Amino acid sequence: MFEEDKYFEFRDIITMNYRYSYGGQSHFFRELKRNKTIMGAKCPKCGVLRCPPRSGCSTCYEDTVPVEMGERGEVVVCVQAWFASSTYVGNIPYFIGYVLLDGADSAIHQNIVVRDEAPSVDAVKKGTRVKAVFKAEREGKVTDFFFVPESDLNDELLKTPKLEESAVRKYWETLG
Amino acid sequence: MRKVAVIGIGETPFKPRHPEMTYFELGYEAVKLAVRDAGISRDDIQSVVYGIYNELFQRQFIPEHFLGDYIGMLGRPGTRVANGGATGGYALRAGYMEIASGLSDVAMVLGVEKCLDCFDYNTGHATPEVLKAISYSGDMTWETPLGLIPATTYANVVRAHMERYGGPTEEQMAKVSVKNHKHAIGNPIAQSPMELTVEEVLASRMIVYPFKMLDCCQYSEGAAAMILASEEKARELGKNPLVWITGVGAANDGAFVGKGSMETIGHIMSDHLAARQAYKMAGITNPLKELDVAEIHDAFTGQEIMTYEELMFCERGQGGRLIDEGVVTMEGELPTCTSGGLIGCGHAVGGTAVMQGNEVVRQLRGTSHNPVKNARRGLMHSTGGALSAYGVVTIFERDEA
Repeated sequence: MFEEDKYFEFRDIITMNYRYSYGGQSHFFRELKRNKTIMGAKCPKCGVLRCPPRSGCSTCYEDTVPVEMGERGEVVVCVQAWFASSTYVGNIPYFIGYVLLDGADSAIHQNIVVRDEAPSVDAVKKGTRVKAVFKAEREGKVTDFFFVPESDLNDELLKTPKLEESAVRKYWETLG
Repeated sequence: MRKVAVIGIGETPFKPRHPEMTYFELGYEAVKLAVRDAGISRDDIQSVVYGIYNELFQRQFIPEHFLGDYIGMLGRPGTRVANGGATGGYALRAGYMEIASGLSDVAMVLGVEKCLDCFDYNTGHATPEVLKAISYSGDMTWETPLGLIPATTYANVVRAHMERYGGPTEEQMAKVSVKNHKHAIGNPIAQSPMELTVEEVLASRMIVYPFKMLDCCQYSEGAAAMILASEEKARELGKNPLVWITGVGAANDGAFVGKGSMETIGHIMSDHLAARQAYKMAGITNPLKELDVAEIHDAFTGQEIMTYEELMFCERGQGGRLIDEGVVTMEGELPTCTSGGLIGCGHAVGGTAVMQGNEVVRQLRGTSHNPVKNARRGLMHSTGGALSAYGVVTIFERDEA
């Protein structure tokens, strides 16, 4: 007798609905959704600028001050994944890493999207300069934006503030 | 603090599935073996620490409640510890505190996990759904929606190290895979014992650069128990040799997206700080010379190599040399993962570190399937959390009663 015939199995699922509050981080997600703006937070005492923001400084226990970040930065570290959880399996392969926005003291976790459809693992690495690109339909989630290597954009797109994904895709199509 | 002895160990096989047992039945089997090994009765155990990582795996919240009833541990304290991959290490630390503080004379640490009842009906495989359950351990707002899985977090740490120090190389990582799969051969509880070549590891399917399939541990189902006692109780039982816990250390590193400091990118500070505490307590100043065996939480090969450095077996950036020169093989100065580790035995998360602690105890008793000759002092390392945020180090020593 096979084990799977011997032991009784049944199909089950756990689900949970939320009305999750972003609390003191609401400003980040509201600005992202409404204005395609990335917000950080600076401690008035020690001067540390965190992005993602914290409403209170973890070192000084002081209330922080919201700061509008730029859209460009540098990859601290990044890896390419060919395996994913069941909720993300449709995105394989993907780059996931940490970006230090210019002026920030902490790195933000984010996806980096490249033009090459079969990129090498070194297409994104430490020191790669990147620019934020925003989705047209934003929900107020971290997935409302991603980063693209500056080398995959032209001068016009690099200078365009609040750059949308459609403009980048259109440019990439012209390159073939 | 009072001295703390290990008087009993037991564990189930680690397998891809145990359809014949629920999580509480797995725990029961490990407890039965540990109680027999200790030569005590159920009533002698005054408190229990349960190491169970993920409620979604067990399909049960507060699973320790039902487990405690099933193993007959009502009417005494039972504490649940959940610290990601380091759950077992932290559970053992909590058990140590039970005895060292004088609260209990006999305490049991029981780690259990039944990971693979999770199942992805779309792909027809368990692993993507297992990874989904684990991905909820990333920051649910800032990390999980981006495709975070354990391999991406550890790969980011290892790649940062590679970019900083030029290693470990993919070949060095493959050598660790060969070593740990080989060490599992003969271990009756191991899930993945096998002879491999470096070439086979390098040719295996890419998971997350730089990790190939054979660089990664496999998720598992299993349970492991360790029974601790005061010196008086241990001597009363007449155990010979006696095994003591002589050092414990633990530290947590930055969470909330990104390391706490840009200077420590590419390091695992939790492990390093935990090791410093444990070595200070045990009086160890040169771990490579003063340890005889080390069980390392080898979730991924490159991370094992980094851990050599964080545990100060060598300088930072030199970890790859230890596998190249065979220092960490059975023939070397400090064999690591003689059980087979997570890569050879599987990763039943809450049970993993207890299982690895049991292997160190077997080495000191002289009963391991992979004996290190005259081993007197061993280390057990446990890590977990996104970006290796949790680190626990425990030192075991043997003396004659």
